[in-house]
Amino acid sequence: MSLQIEEQRQTEGPDGRPRQELVVNVGPSHPSTHGVGRVVVHLDGEVITKADMIIGYLHRGIEKMCENRTYLQVVPLTDRLDYVGSMYSNWAYCRAVERLAAIRVPERAEYIRVIVAEMQRIASHMMSIGSAAADTAAATLFIYSFDERERIIELFEELCGARLTYNYVRPGGVAFDLPEGWTDSVLEFTKAHRKALDLMDRMYFGNVIARGRLKGVAVLGRDDAVAWGASGPVARGSGVDWDLRKHDSYSVYPRFDFNVPIGENGDAYDRARTRLLECYESCSIIEQAIEQMPTGPHKVEGQPRLIMPRAGDAYDHIESARGSLGVYIVADGSPRPYRVKFRSPAFCNLALVPKLAVGHTLSDLVVVLGSLDPVFGEVDR
Amino acid sequence: MDVRPQVSNEYSEGIAGVVERWKSLATGLSITLGRAMGPHKTLSYPAEKLPMTARWRGSLHLNGILGHDEIEVVRSQAPEYNGIIAGLYAEERLAPCVGNCPANVDARGQNYYMADDRPVEAYELVRERNIMPGVLGRICHHPCENACRRNYYDEPLAIRPLHRMAYEAYQENKPALSPMPVTQDKSVAIIGSGPSGLAAAFDLMRLGYKVTMYEKEAKPGGALYSGVPSYRLPREVLHGEIDDLVALGLELHCGVEIGVDVPIDHLMGEFDAVLIAVGLQVSRLLPIPGTDADGVRGALEFLRESNWKGDAGVKGLRVMVIGGGNVAVDVARCALRVGASEVRLACLEASEEMPCHPWEIEEALDEGVIAMCGQGPEKVLEQDGKVVGMQLRECLSVFDESGRFSPKFGDEYTTVDCDVVVFSIGQAPLLADLVGGSDLMLTDRGLLPVDGEVMTTDVPGVFASGEVVTGPGSAIASIASGHEAAISIDRYLQGHDLFEGRVARPVPVYDRYQVATVEGVEESRRRVPMPMARPEERATDFRQVELGMTHLEALNEAARCLRCQTGVCVGCTFCARTCPDYAISVDRIDDPGERKVTHYDLDLTKCCFCGLCAEQCPTDALRHTGQYELSFYQRDLMIFDRDEMLRDPAGTRSTGRDGIHPGDSGGEA
Amino acid sequence: MSGFVGGLVWGLAGGMLIALATVFGVWWERKVAGRIHMRIGPQTTGPAGLLQVPADTLKMILKEDITPAQVDVRVFRLAPHIVFVPVAMSLTVIPFASGFAPLNTSIGMLFFLAVPSLSVIGMLLAGWSSRNTYATIGGLRAAAQMISYELPRTLSVLSVVVLAGSMRPLEVMEAWRPWWILANAIGFLVYFISSIAEVNSIPFDLPQAESELVAGYFADYSGIRWGIFMMTEYGAVVAASLFGAAVFLGGWRWLPGAFGVVLFIALTLLLITAIIFVKWTFPRMRSDQLMTTAWKILTPMALVQLVIVGVIVPWM
Repeated sequence: MSLQIEEQRQTEGPDGRPRQELVVNVGPSHPSTHGVGRVVVHLDGEVITKADMIIGYLHRGIEKMCENRTYLQVVPLTDRLDYVGSMYSNWAYCRAVERLAAIRVPERAEYIRVIVAEMQRIASHMMSIGSAAADTAAATLFIYSFDERERIIELFEELCGARLTYNYVRPGGVAFDLPEGWTDSVLEFTKAHRKALDLMDRMYFGNVIARGRLKGVAVLGRDDAVAWGASGPVARGSGVDWDLRKHDSYSVYPRFDFNVPIGENGDAYDRARTRLLECYESCSIIEQAIEQMPTGPHKVEGQPRLIMPRAGDAYDHIESARGSLGVYIVADGSPRPYRVKFRSPAFCNLALVPKLAVGHTLSDLVVVLGSLDPVFGEVDR
Repeated sequence: MDVRPQVSNEYSEGIAGVVERWKSLATGLSITLGRAMGPHKTLSYPAEKLPMTARWRGSLHLNGILGHDEIEVVRSQAPEYNGIIAGLYAEERLAPCVGNCPANVDARGQNYYMADDRPVEAYELVRERNIMPGVLGRICHHPCENACRRNYYDEPLAIRPLHRMAYEAYQENKPALSPMPVTQDKSVAIIGSGPSGLAAAFDLMRLGYKVTMYEKEAKPGGALYSGVPSYRLPREVLHGEIDDLVALGLELHCGVEIGVDVPIDHLMGEFDAVLIAVGLQVSRLLPIPGTDADGVRGALEFLRESNWKGDAGVKGLRVMVIGGGNVAVDVARCALRVGASEVRLACLEASEEMPCHPWEIEEALDEGVIAMCGQGPEKVLEQDGKVVGMQLRECLSVFDESGRFSPKFGDEYTTVDCDVVVFSIGQAPLLADLVGGSDLMLTDRGLLPVDGEVMTTDVPGVFASGEVVTGPGSAIASIASGHEAAISIDRYLQGHDLFEGRVARPVPVYDRYQVATVEGVEESRRRVPMPMARPEERATDFRQVELGMTHLEALNEAARCLRCQTGVCVGCTFCARTCPDYAISVDRIDDPGERKVTHYDLDLTKCCFCGLCAEQCPTDALRHTGQYELSFYQRDLMIFDRDEMLRDPAGTRSTGRDGIHPGDSGGEA
Repeated sequence: MSGFVGGLVWGLAGGMLIALATVFGVWWERKVAGRIHMRIGPQTTGPAGLLQVPADTLKMILKEDITPAQVDVRVFRLAPHIVFVPVAMSLTVIPFASGFAPLNTSIGMLFFLAVPSLSVIGMLLAGWSSRNTYATIGGLRAAAQMISYELPRTLSVLSVVVLAGSMRPLEVMEAWRPWWILANAIGFLVYFISSIAEVNSIPFDLPQAESELVAGYFADYSGIRWGIFMMTEYGAVVAASLFGAAVFLGGWRWLPGAFGVVLFIALTLLLITAIIFVKWTFPRMRSDQLMTTAWKILTPMALVQLVIVGVIVPWM
């Protein structure tokens, strides 16, 4: 009786004798690929000798679809890129359109955008920490972090009626002004959220088993992180001090006082903990923004329904929960973009999987994937 | 309260580390144990009813759809009108065109009647508020069209030309006019037959008062007669509509100058109330060298001469117009028509910030007027007491930071040769004769002190309205102030307090949309253009420039009206056009009397619930409901047709979470 | 009753007990996990959702029993039973009440530790016959893990045997004294942890490893065969808790008669709940950490315990 496997490779074991590798196909339908990613791993015993990341299972051709939709109609499409961080895709796209069409966004809208973006960051990080923990079977932490995320989503639902695909940030502002009493709910949330963060920190990041699983796994050096184009918590976990909110500051971020948490070892633990620590900073930014929030219009007044920028191109990027999210638009002077390109951080970070997974066991593969926090809507577009 | 992370990145060395490791396990268990003992967060199913937001984005529902139903038009007497408008505004049911009009003319209702081919009703509806639809349909600066929500999509509706088309159709089917019954025993005298006086007169006549109007000139119309050139407003239209008012019971005395022929005290004694609506009579000149030379003229005098005589004595001469307002453009265009060989127009402002309406200067430029923008007058060059030229100085900015008029000049001078200089930089009232011998006092600057809100003067029973109160402005603004004066006079004569319970007109806060692009918009959807006479033909005489639409064009144009805020779908197809997933398809027929949305299909299999369609619905007919449970036994049931869209969401086949209307929030039910 | 018939009767009783324990255990776990998650847990089917698990079981029986095309059919079908039977057998030596254990044998302690380990063969067969890489890895992991944790578990129980001076469970119970709890504290901890490993519960659920191996060795099973694996798992939890509650915590020895039995059941429930709490609190270990824990932490601890009861206690 022999195993039916896709492909077998003969290698030489440490003792000099030939060994047969086991090829295991992880995904695209697998609980820990965070969507529909696929990794083909070659195992020597349980140790990975080779990992191939295969993507494209969620490719919907969004960039192409953008080309026959008006500038406004593209916004709901961007919701479907990073479906756990729709506000970011909305915002990055709208910034590019605003740059292209020379639209000046009212200050209040910028504040609202910062608040929703930071809430989105918390929601996204909660999702990331929770599901990465669930990959290591810490299902309860998953529930606790999703409970936090749920509260943000409820606030977003109150804000714009949608729970996941918000379509809230629009060229020239945001779709709706804040509802009555919404900021109070947000402040209540940030207060409670810090306590919940501390609880999660003690429950998971202080836990001996979790540390055993995360520390020393998928170590990404500082130089490698730069060389591979990593961004966001993946780069910062490796000690790269790079946050667009600070280093290419946009919107009203320069007015807030916040730190950028940096990891030391560049392992899965540092990446996940960087996310957790960022949530504290996001809470503080939200509180500062609510305090400074000016009154005024929430979107540009009198903007025509059909935005038609002059021919030209524009690039803009923001710091999403996963890293630098860039949007490049080429306009030909018609009401529809000629070409839209998204620089998605999840895609760039995911390229690290083959590098990081080799030498670890199959159990660590899910930790590697979880620590990179891919969202395949954004990877495949 | 600032909780900071307490967990260190590494365990300690040695025994302490071992203890920390075991302690971390205990910590974890204590946390889960604590949560297990704590309160639970979910409610029990199926009684679970989560609170829902009013901004929900469930499946879509149509409030109503275009059929044979009458839409609500605003008709009432002047004293109640403001209250009705304010009520609609508070309920967000006021159409932007109505809200933005100074006199709140129900343009939406006019379009509705016009599209239904009922021009007489349209005309009568409009006449209640703007008194002379035929006149305003030619000269109004149409703030309604600026606010038209259609701007947001393609081009605004031609509301002003439709006034005119309503007038023309009305002229063909004109009912016999009889004087309105006089039901009140009080009488009112109105001095001046301009738009403001006529508006007040009409309102008071409808209220049953006896109104007598005095006009200084031989023919009525005030500034409309003396100032507005006849290529914009043919005199037969103006006098035809004023004759209609006379036929409705207005007693008009022309050629009577109050203060000269009859003292104003006499009127005060004879009538129960007097309204001064005399407007502005003289042009201002600038205090610069050379203004006393022969050939320097004021705009109003120039216009009066050219309008009444058709000749202003500038045949073959070079005319320089100073000023950038609408009057200046009128002067320039008139000068062309009375035979000037070259007409220049110099104004302080840059071309894009000229105070005149953009279409006016555009038409003037077409006709051959030379605009010199950003140039301030320095001095008039004279030779032997006659104008030979004009020296202009570069103007850098007109207003200072706080928006006050404070022009800054540069160092560049331009000299232009010309024979006539017409100053069109402002107007002033001439009231000294009028008030002479009465209790009315003028200020140092020759102005009459008037309360701008209720239009009262210092003397009880004497009111004022129009440009004499508001300063130079538009005809429709004067009409609005005439309406206010009529309300005050009515309240005064009935013995009511002037202020108590009085509703001010709501401020038009509707967004002023920039005009959207028309690229890719099919011809049938676009505004019907007003045919114009060719510039080289029209610049030579006073025939009307705007030629008018055909009857069919007017019907089509009226059918473009979106009937904002009526809550009834008019099949405008903007929801279908804005849908990124092409989930909506709409069809309608537009025949007069048979306007109907024939199809409205929503394909829920495509819908992504982005909310763009409902957000931009101009009539607020399309709304999201709180239905999120959308499961069907057959796939084709997911295509909602017209009837399904109209069905009350509470009872539809998609059993909703609550079957809900916006506004309810789930909660305990 | 003796011989074949007796064995059959007790075997059926053991099977029924496991079935009941599974039904109750799943319900209890779902309730406890629900509370940990700030939820309610099953509540709709039957009173407090008690009928939810029988309903699920019924569904599992009615479900199509899929045999994937590539499997080794005979082994595939046999494997669940090989997993199930030893666990059911192990229940027969539990001392349920004073003077009553279904199978009162002189090697009862050894029997309880040795027999359930046989189910590892079933797991290995299930993983192997599925011809599925996940299942294969799961089966191999199961074999490695079960065998490794035999040692600390056996050593921890040995300390009780040393104190009692007998391997017959009823005699051990008769000899049990309350101070044993203190004396055997380390042994009990080792027993508790290695039992969790034996029953493949988190943090030692590597053979199944939902998030890595999908479901490990029973990834390809469906319907009632899958149900048998699940039943076995809960049966093993119940068996380990019963045995631990008896020999370490004293079981029915605290109170006379029926009260003692009730207390025994309560202590068992406490242990089951503790296992559920551990399951829903901690992340999963990696295979090398699993081995490190067994050989470098638990085995030395068990040896220390043996020294305590074998050397220090008699000396005192």
